[in-house]
Amino acid sequence: MASVSEMYDVTWEEMRDKLRKWREDNHRNSEQIVDVGEELINEHASKLGDDIWIIYEQVMIAALDCSRDDLAWTCLQELKRQFPGSQRVKRLAGMRLEALEKYEDASKQYDSILQDDPTNTAARKRKISILKAQGKSAEAIRELNEYLEQFVGDQEAWHELSELYINEHDYGKAAFCLEELMMTNPHNHLYCEQYAEVKYTQGGLENLELSRKYFAQALKLNNRNMRALFGLYMSASHIAASPKVNATVKKANVKYATWATNQINRAYQGNVTNRVPGC
Amino acid sequence: MYNRNVSPSAKKSQPKLEWRSEHTSKEKKKDSHSIPILCVDCIPLFHGTLALAPMLEVALTLIDTWCKENKYVIAGYYQANERTKDFRPNQVAEKVGARIAENFSEAAMIMVDSTRFTMGCYEPILAIYDHHENKWKCRDCNVDSFEDWCEAQKITSALLEGRSYESLIDFDNHLDDLRNDWTNPEINKSVLHLC
Repeated sequence: MASVSEMYDVTWEEMRDKLRKWREDNHRNSEQIVDVGEELINEHASKLGDDIWIIYEQVMIAALDCSRDDLAWTCLQELKRQFPGSQRVKRLAGMRLEALEKYEDASKQYDSILQDDPTNTAARKRKISILKAQGKSAEAIRELNEYLEQFVGDQEAWHELSELYINEHDYGKAAFCLEELMMTNPHNHLYCEQYAEVKYTQGGLENLELSRKYFAQALKLNNRNMRALFGLYMSASHIAASPKVNATVKKANVKYATWATNQINRAYQGNVTNRVPGC
Repeated sequence: MYNRNVSPSAKKSQPKLEWRSEHTSKEKKKDSHSIPILCVDCIPLFHGTLALAPMLEVALTLIDTWCKENKYVIAGYYQANERTKDFRPNQVAEKVGARIAENFSEAAMIMVDSTRFTMGCYEPILAIYDHHENKWKCRDCNVDSFEDWCEAQKITSALLEGRSYESLIDFDNHLDDLRNDWTNPEINKSVLHLC
């Protein structure tokens, strides 16, 4: 099989830079990371300098995603050798055990980290991930709530909790989590839009009107958010069609829906190279 | 930790496909039980939270419109769960399936059993459910459920080896960037090419 550098005609520097970009953008394109990273490690380790350690970490996690335990093990050994006793490396060892579905051993690993450092948030979150992997949603939710009482500013955790609630169809609690996120991130159009989706799903006229407002807000924050645009159209249309609204409200929502339709059509026309179906 | 808002995680992907079916008869559906339903294509929907309504409604509406333009009908719903070991239909699958069944009584709900997945695709890993009296009943799925299992196995395996899934576009991708075409013409071309 041809090497990555041969297939794509890239230098080792370009491969290293690509890995860095993927790290910075938090891409989880694990197969590509394994392809590029493995070659970099095998052929060019000596040239990478201190970068190699973070590359080992990145490649190890990608290897776990791809069931490449051989590669993950190699990376882990290198990291253990270089950073003996490191909590960060211990966590990686725990993740490997998770990937092998050895959840009890993984949990013990994280417990040992927490014994030395009870504030180690990474280890606590991994323990919650184990519960999620085992399908123990109720427990995961409980643990995550406890975690958030202590670490109330952890946005990633609030977002994870909102997802867990959504999967359990507990939309009210999901909305609460998203409200927290919107409060601390008032300019984030994604949280606004997701909140609107939750409200829409809850249903009922009040929630629909709220959802329309938040779809509109998301659009104000980012006028290219297509979900917000579609959401505005859907919510306004449903409100206009509801028998419970008076003529004024109906008229206003027909106006919003029409505006949204025009914007949607413009968005599609601006992007047509091939015909885009359905719109 | 990985930021799931940024990009789809391969491990977490839950492709949801809908089957379009071409009626083999030109007549109106009078005695549909005698006409076997042939599903000829599928459209991946979402990889992420499935239990929210608005984008699902948008997707079903757009796909339904497109189906009508192409003389197809939405004939079913397909789901693969996030956790490999979890292959039973959940509330989302049942609700979407029921919705589709409102418009097409023979609608099937299909669950993927990821635990039996192999790159060689030697055996079918689908469980097919039919809607009877508000309940979903699993029917026997074997190679006879497919038009031509040998071809299907060969083509699917080749597509997997070639990593065609890297270019697969679902509805989420389309909403992220309208230029992404959820009809996946390139992959459909590859399928024909491999026939």
